[in-house]
Formats: sequence, C-alpha cells, structure tokens
Amino acid sequence: MSAVIQASELGKQYRRAWALRDCTLTIPEGHVVGLVGPNGAGKTTLLRLAAGMLAPTRGTITVLGERPAAGPAQLAQVGFVAQDTPVYAQLTVADHLRLGSWLNPGWDGELARQRIGQLGLDPKQRAGSLSGGQRAQLALTLALGKRPELLILDEPVASLDPLARREFLQGLMEAVAEHGVNIVLSSHLVADLERVCDYLVVLVGSQVRLAGEVGALLASHHRLSGPRRDPGSLPASQQVITESHTDKQSNLLVRTDEPVLDPSWTVRPVSLEDLVLGYLSRARNDAPARRPRLGVVS
Amino acid sequence: MIRLSLLQFRVQVITAVTALAAFAVLLAATGPHLARLYGASGLTGCQPASCGDLANQFFQQLNAAGTYQVVYLLGIMLVALAPAVIGLFWGAPLVARELETGTSALAWSQSVTRTRWLAVKLTVGGLAAMAVTEGLSLLQAWWAAPISRAVGLGGSGTSLAMNQFSPLVFVTHGITPLGYAAFAFTLGVTAGALIQRTVPAMAVTLVLFAAVQIAMPLWIRPNLFPAEHTTVAIGRDITFSNNTQGNFTLATGTLAGQPGAWILSSGAVDAAGHPVSTAPAACTQAVVSGTGPSGLACLASHGIRIAVTYQPASRYWAFQWTETGICLAAALALAGYCFRRVSRRLS
Repeated sequence: MSAVIQASELGKQYRRAWALRDCTLTIPEGHVVGLVGPNGAGKTTLLRLAAGMLAPTRGTITVLGERPAAGPAQLAQVGFVAQDTPVYAQLTVADHLRLGSWLNPGWDGELARQRIGQLGLDPKQRAGSLSGGQRAQLALTLALGKRPELLILDEPVASLDPLARREFLQGLMEAVAEHGVNIVLSSHLVADLERVCDYLVVLVGSQVRLAGEVGALLASHHRLSGPRRDPGSLPASQQVITESHTDKQSNLLVRTDEPVLDPSWTVRPVSLEDLVLGYLSRARNDAPARRPRLGVVS
Repeated sequence: MIRLSLLQFRVQVITAVTALAAFAVLLAATGPHLARLYGASGLTGCQPASCGDLANQFFQQLNAAGTYQVVYLLGIMLVALAPAVIGLFWGAPLVARELETGTSALAWSQSVTRTRWLAVKLTVGGLAAMAVTEGLSLLQAWWAAPISRAVGLGGSGTSLAMNQFSPLVFVTHGITPLGYAAFAFTLGVTAGALIQRTVPAMAVTLVLFAAVQIAMPLWIRPNLFPAEHTTVAIGRDITFSNNTQGNFTLATGTLAGQPGAWILSSGAVDAAGHPVSTAPAACTQAVVSGTGPSGLACLASHGIRIAVTYQPASRYWAFQWTETGICLAAALALAGYCFRRVSRRLS
C-alpha cells in the first residue's frame, strides 16, 4: 500500500454546515504534495482530519494505513504544523525543544538544535516575541524533530513576508532532501507550491478536481490558440478544460496524452498557475459543483 | 507529559506558593499571641458551669484587640474564595486557552494521545488545587484553634463565635476544601472545553460555582440527613420579638447541652406542642410591655417552650464526608465529560 493519505467519502459537519463533504482522494507515497483550492474548499478541514485534530462525521480516512491519532505510535509518525503556526507564547524556544523531547519517543534533539542554531534563534527567547517567520520555523522544527514519516502543513507560509516565505520553504526542502519525509502542504498561492511540490491536488467544493505529478500534468496540458472553432470538433482524445472565444479566435486549455497535430493551432505549454486557474474556473462554471470527479491521473 | 504540564503550570504554582507563604507569615505573626490569650483566659480545664462565661470573656478580649476579628474573617474568606479563584484562573484557561490560541494543535500533534494529555493536565492541576486549598484551610484552622475551642465550650454572641456548621466555616474547615477545590477546578476546565474561550468560560465558572455555593447551605446541606426535633424550655440565648397586639416570636441560636449543633429552625410552641404566636391572656401585658425577662418568664410559666429542628454536632464529620463526596463525584463526572468532549468532538 503506497498511499500516505486515503480518504473515502469523507465528511465533516460543523453544527449545520458541511466543511467537507464526500471527499474521496488518495495521496501516494514519496511526494511533496501541494493541496490547492479556493477558500472554503475544505483544505484545512481535510488536513486537520488527516492530522487527527478532528474526527470525521462521515466516511473514513487513513493516514499511513491507520486511523489518524489512533495512538501514540500513529501520532509519532505524523508531524503537523497548523495554520498560523501556533506555539506557546509563554514558553521559550528551548522549552519548546524540551517539550518535543519529552513528548516524542523518536525525538531527534541534534536535528532540532542544529536547525535552531542555523536559524539564529535565541534558545532563551520567549516564543511569543518571535517574528511570524521565526515562529513558523520553530513550529516546523518541532514537527521535524519528531522525525515523522509524513509532515502535514496547513498554509504554513500564508502570513509570512516573501523573504520569510522563501526561507521557510527552503528549510522544508532541505528536510525532504535529508530525511526523505513525505509532505502534504496546502496553500492558495500556486507560486509557493510550484517551488516545492512535485505532486498537485486541486480541491474545489470538497471534490478533487485534479491530481497528479506536476511533471505529468504539465506535459499533458496545452494551451491552444487559433481561428475560432467549435470545441466539439476536437478529437476525442483532447479534453477541453477551459475555452474562451473572440469573434475570430479561440483559446483553449486542453488535456491530452497525445501530441496535438492539428496545424491550425498554435500550441503552447502551460504553467502550473495556468493549470490550477483553469481547473478552478472550470469548477466554478459547472456550478452544482458536486458531481463529476474528473481528471485524476497518477 | 507530566513535565510539560508542570512547565506550563509554573506561573500558577509560583503564585499559589507566594499566597500560601504570605498567609502563613500573617498567621504566624498573630497566632502565638492568640494562643497566649487563650492560655491566660482560664478556659483550659474550666468547670462546665463556668466555661461559657469564660469563653465569652475570651471573645470580648479578642474583640477589644480588634485585629483578631479581621485576621479571622480574612482567613476564612481566603479559604472560602480559594476554590473559586482556582476554578477561574486555573480551571477555565486549562483547555480553553489552548483552543483559543491554537496551541492545542501543537500539543495534540505530539506523540501523546489527547486522553493522556488531558488526564495529566487534570491530575496535576486538580491535585495542586486541592493541596493549595487544603493548605490554606489547615493554616487557618491552626491559627483559629483557640477560637474554635472557645466556641466548642459555649462561647457565643460575637462574629468570631461562628458555629462549625455556619456556611462560611463549614466549607473552609475539615475536608470540604478538598472537595470544593476539585469541583471548582473541573468546573472551570469543563466550561473552558465547552465554550472554547477563556474569558466567557471564567464568567460561566464564576456564576455556576457561586450558585452552587449558595444552593448548598440553603437547600442541599440541611437535607443530607433527616433533622432531629426537640422542644426545650426557654433559656439562654433567646431571640424574642413582640408587637403591641401581644403577638410574639421566639428563636434560639444554641441548644443547651449540645454545643456545636446546627439549629435549622426554632419557634415557640405551647404545652401541647402546637406552634403559637399569640401570648396567653395572662401574659399579654408582659409581652406587649417589652422584650425583657418578665415577658419571657411569663411565657415560660405558662408552658410556652421552644421547638427546635436541628442537626446534632456529632454528625459534623458525616456531613463533611458526604458533602466532600458529592463534590468529588461531581468533579469526576465533569472530568469524564471533558474526556469525552476532548477526545471526540473538539476541533
């Protein structure tokens, strides 16, 4: 079984509103996975369910083959950095490392101390007086220090300035390179994900709209422009994701595993941002956004 | 997890130890002199007939000195308020602050289950709450031992001479402080886990705990054991009120031969045992003319007695154990609810 997260018809209801509904997805092992979607898509709820912070109302979720937060052993395998990277304001940086060592049998004190040293954090400083970027780094250090197999990060860089954001993501990438940890990271900024992720999941209205390795996704999507024509006349192997037309011209985003041979098209590659925006706007257009489960490749 | 719990609890522990120390200093400064006054009062080894008067003299001495009354009341108030303060400032934020600041996500993503996390926090906080409150109570009881002994010997008629069952004294002595501390603490934790915000949880804790502190002596405690009934002759320590129509009421605060008994109610009855409020014709004049001894003497000579509903002093420890048991059971039930809530429902 090579799935780090497997959800099936997963749902979470808060009082009356469903924060996540009928979500089915599989996140394979060995990737840095970017989870992207508009606000309210259920990203945070999904990640909190995966980290065991929440219990599902419906459906099932397994993380590394077990129910999240099933016990100390399962908890030890999963690191979680919550939105806004909370830390104990009253405790010092050193206190945080101590609590990490007390509460995690697999604690890697050397790694934690090294990271704190590299970041130039004063161990005696209270976490409450750290800058947003430093706080995020401390939370990441704590999550890495337990040496998890899977690290879940919920919008870790959302509140950081561009420089702190880059440093944070760099630190994350170094950890991946060094320890080979699986990562699931949510963001609404595609640019951040582009830098670090090799696997992308687009979530809209609790539904997976697109999932796959970034390289494969980019290779199988093309931007076509040419004289105006009806998209219905395209070969069956080309699936239209978005279309826009002027009087004379048509612009299409298509998905196909075969080369586009029609000489009337100008074919251009897509960027990750184009791709994500394409799927987001498509999800908005087919409004009762809850039926088709499209575009899953792996 | 115990070490983290202690680390997070540092400030509270320091505050509590400081408060205990300050209280101990205050009591140590005044206690020995109080004991000397008691030694000089002749109460030690007094003859039963004279004990009451000697005790009253002792209280007059203390009242004259002034400070004892203040220290006594201050001490009692401190012990009485300690559970509420603990419930508010230790209990309510325990879970609520973690949820409010999001640090619960940090705590719950360590390799420790949520149940264990809560169990340790509840145990450390609960034991500390009980230890601090009982510590304050024992200090106060040590200091006030001469006063309690004088009350036991029949001293009365001063704010110092409070019955062991009087609401403030009962909840601040014996083992009830343990029960109330545990109850207030878990009440605060539960309110915090439910409301998920610290300040509203503190407010709710305060209101609920105050309601319990009021309901307990008024409606619950008197009914824990069936009350005893007796009628006694009109004697000492009688409250007598009258009006110009010859109506009167009688009440007593003590029961002869039963020092320390808890008088629940008392009133005048005639020789047949029926409640009366109108003076017999022969006594109307004496009753109307004043509350002096002549009125009482006349009533007594016409067979008017006082019916008393009371709890005997010998039941003191039964009351203590029962009330503490109720508090601890409530605390356990609240803790159980917290576990359910934290392990299953909380975001």
